[in-house]
Amino acid sequence: MNAILTIVIAGVGLWLGYFIYAKNINLNIVKPDDSKATPAKMYMDGVDFTPASKNVLFGYQFKSIAALGPIGGPIVAAQWGWLPALIWIILGTFFIGWVQDYASIIVPMRSEGDTFGALSYKLISPRARTILLVFIYLYLLLIMGAFGQVIGITFMSKPAVPFGILSVILMGLLAGQMTYKMKQDIILTTAITVVIAFFGIWLGQTSFITNIFEGLNNALGAGGQKYFWSIVFAIICYLGAVLPIWRWAQPTNYVSFWIVALGMVGGVIGMLVWNFQGGASFGDFPAFTGWTVKGLGPLWPILFVTIACGAISGWHSLVSSSGTARQIEKESDALPVGGGAMWMEMVLAVIALLTATAATGGWAAYQEAYAKGKFGVFAVGLAAFLSHIGIPTSFGVPYGLVFLTIQGLTISYLVVRFMRVASAELLGDAIPVMKNVHVGAIVALVLSLIVIWTGVWQTIWVLFGGANQMMASLALLIITIWLMSQGKQYNWTFWPFIFMYVTTIGALIYTAFWKALPAALAGTKVAGNIIAVVLAVVLLICAFILGYDGWQAISRYRRGEATVEA
Amino acid sequence: MTEKQRESFLKRFGRSAKEFLYGMAGHDMTRFALKTRGSMEHLFILITMGDLLGIPILPPYYSLRLLPYVVPQISTWKRRMLRERDLTDALA
Repeated sequence: MNAILTIVIAGVGLWLGYFIYAKNINLNIVKPDDSKATPAKMYMDGVDFTPASKNVLFGYQFKSIAALGPIGGPIVAAQWGWLPALIWIILGTFFIGWVQDYASIIVPMRSEGDTFGALSYKLISPRARTILLVFIYLYLLLIMGAFGQVIGITFMSKPAVPFGILSVILMGLLAGQMTYKMKQDIILTTAITVVIAFFGIWLGQTSFITNIFEGLNNALGAGGQKYFWSIVFAIICYLGAVLPIWRWAQPTNYVSFWIVALGMVGGVIGMLVWNFQGGASFGDFPAFTGWTVKGLGPLWPILFVTIACGAISGWHSLVSSSGTARQIEKESDALPVGGGAMWMEMVLAVIALLTATAATGGWAAYQEAYAKGKFGVFAVGLAAFLSHIGIPTSFGVPYGLVFLTIQGLTISYLVVRFMRVASAELLGDAIPVMKNVHVGAIVALVLSLIVIWTGVWQTIWVLFGGANQMMASLALLIITIWLMSQGKQYNWTFWPFIFMYVTTIGALIYTAFWKALPAALAGTKVAGNIIAVVLAVVLLICAFILGYDGWQAISRYRRGEATVEA
Repeated sequence: MTEKQRESFLKRFGRSAKEFLYGMAGHDMTRFALKTRGSMEHLFILITMGDLLGIPILPPYYSLRLLPYVVPQISTWKRRMLRERDLTDALA
């Protein structure tokens, strides 16, 4: 097996999935009608509802859904061998991933721009919305826990990383100042800030800078490093969450985008060059290592939540329904935007899998890189690809680590912002101080730090994946009920819903009662494992209530007792 | 494919690629700037036309003088004020 053959297989899956299956459903079931006014046109207010072209929205949707998830999941899932991971990435996207992303645009678009909160209230039950909000808060907390451990503990403590991150953030601040205050041309702003950010990343891996951070890490000691760098992570997120979005989060994300995009383009070119030179083969990397992997668990259900984004992810349903659906100009744009972006993310997940398999060149090298830090495999793999277009590995590895760190950071700012909005919404009336932006952000970050410091990474990652996939199954439930209410064929969303719901319940139960609870009882990381059990149980209760109410709604619609106006 | 068709295809492809890149890199920033402007305008209307919602912030005399400038925004403002919102509205 080699990189090109893998890309060809993924390409065939994409062609069959998008051009045959997806287009067939789009034309015969959803039946887009471009003469109908979309909410973006009907309610255009320049605030929430604004039409945009499909090419712009395709880029916007892809950027909004692709973060650390599609990169991290396949690298970890390669522990079961490359074949199960590849099959799930392709078939998951084929039958479930694009279905959810596309339908999450269609349903709000045909429901006057309502988001999933409002739709669950109308279609399922009044309490469904409150439970969905609790569920989303915990889901966001788990994103912070999973990303925070990787960024705050694993990456930031590497001496070659912090200076690069500092450079990107400073250049982000400069980009914000140049764009919004100095009114400078965007091309000039981009050229200056991106070039200096790259220079900062290069400078960060020179011995002069690494010696400083190494000295700091030695002074802190192993335990101190963990607390120090995760607090640095929390401070960065705090600033991103409370400062005006134009001042910090947005321009930093803009500069980060170029750092990440250039790395991806360079990596793909390097991979192709390497392949044509006769390299990039999987070597002795096994296709299948067994049904159970030590430390992770059984293939079903754990693999299906380990690879979340890249096959199917609940985050996408939130982005599609709240953001993209309100900007769709024509109904026929929903498929290329929602479905197309998901298929493109599948390609990203396949490339991430290749960094674990083809780039490392064999099982032993992969295991060695994996043991040093799960996501670090990607940095090593990306550096191997980049080395074939003349970029030295000594720069490629730190660049890969900075790449991953900023990928996670850019999402983390937004997550803390959402968490403070969520806490204000859920608790603001009972505890008015929660409406204060600083209090909301600090509460969110303190909870995140507790999860980061006490948690076991594999457990948190699986819980995050479980919550993410459960969000996806709840989105599919809402979509199914909407299709029933409209008298449309619903099997294409109902069976994916059943599969995801059962799988994620299984994953949460396994993680809570087969891994975290026995570990806590055995005295291993007691606090972290008990927190994991509590989070899993609350998520399960939310999922059961929503599942019960959803089933009641399905029964109601099947009996024809409730209909929603078209 | 004729020369003209090829040129038109290349033009279309170039435009699509440019829009895609803009969508990834800058659409968020533009959207946010528009959102900020829209929110400020709606806040201004709330201050000046608060009487309509029973909030007497400004004497009606001044509201009346400002009314012609606010009229084009009233329909979107009303829709936004009356729309029930929750956390999921703020997610993107």
